[in-house]
Amino acid sequence: MNLILVDLKVYRLYNNRMVIQMHETALMKNMLATVEQAIENHHVTRINRVVISVGKLANVMPDALSFAFEAMTQDGIMKGAKLEIKSSPAVARCDECGYEYQADGFPIVCPVCKSRGFRIISGEEVYIESIECEE
Amino acid sequence: MAKLEIKQDLKSLNNMKAEENRNKFKSHGIYVINMMGSPGAGKTTLLENILPRLSVHLRTAVIEGDLATQNDALRIEKTGVTALQINTEGGCHLDSEMIENQLRKLDLDSLDLIIIENVGNLVCPASFDLGEDMRMVVLSVAEGEDKPAKYPTAFLHADTAVITKTDLLPYVGVDVNVMKKYITEINPKTVIFETTKKDGVYMADQLVEYIIDQARRKKGI
Repeated sequence: MNLILVDLKVYRLYNNRMVIQMHETALMKNMLATVEQAIENHHVTRINRVVISVGKLANVMPDALSFAFEAMTQDGIMKGAKLEIKSSPAVARCDECGYEYQADGFPIVCPVCKSRGFRIISGEEVYIESIECEE
Repeated sequence: MAKLEIKQDLKSLNNMKAEENRNKFKSHGIYVINMMGSPGAGKTTLLENILPRLSVHLRTAVIEGDLATQNDALRIEKTGVTALQINTEGGCHLDSEMIENQLRKLDLDSLDLIIIENVGNLVCPASFDLGEDMRMVVLSVAEGEDKPAKYPTAFLHADTAVITKTDLLPYVGVDVNVMKKYITEINPKTVIFETTKKDGVYMADQLVEYIIDQARRKKGI
């Protein structure tokens, strides 16, 4: 299934046809805008590496991110840049006792008081952490 | 080689606009539902059946999201409720900016309820806050009782889950209580409703009452 979607995306990006465009593409567009903003006041000549951290619950496929990254960095300052994707855990905060714990699967249960009430405090985000560049 | 720390959530652009939408809804006293589910779950059929009853009590508009066609908006307009259609042209979800663009076309002072029917997809829409008050996941019994376990992130923030087509239970070999157990295992706070067709009549009384009650609470009446 994933392979088919990736194939379709090739068409989207290279032939500009109306086909499935996954949300990873949208996130990568935001990444480009964020990087451009970040280097505005630096004299950056080349970007070699972009480090991204993807939460366990972010609904993001690393392969699709890499694919979109590659397609969007065919030229310009990021040409040839590498994308490094790190995984970050899902962290829940217990509604009852306030304990913060790693939520590795469902059901999510507080290891201290066994409560089932929780709020996800991290693990849903896609963070751009840093870039390595030449100035 | 230099290293620049950036530390920014790539979803923050969407989250910022979602917050703007939320403030707009709040200042106009509009209750907003973000409805999501697989293609064929019965989202539009559910709307067709609850809108005539909701619109007696609440001034309602619908925003429809699909990859292509105006079909769903046309179906909704037959109920007498205003419907706007977004075509994402391949995009797998609605985002908060698309909603903001549609809000400009509506007279917000004359509305109590907006229902957004997201693109039929149980993965991507879950990651994009639109500024809604209620996140509703619609799933039919024909999708299998373990659907929630297979798509947990869609159910993780579900305020309500609507199990549709329960009249098909005898034919699809699904135990609706097991399906409910899967839903509450992911989020114990999710309020679950069932809809069914009985003698040709679509039954969704409890859901209709619940939505009216929630919308009135927001308005403070």
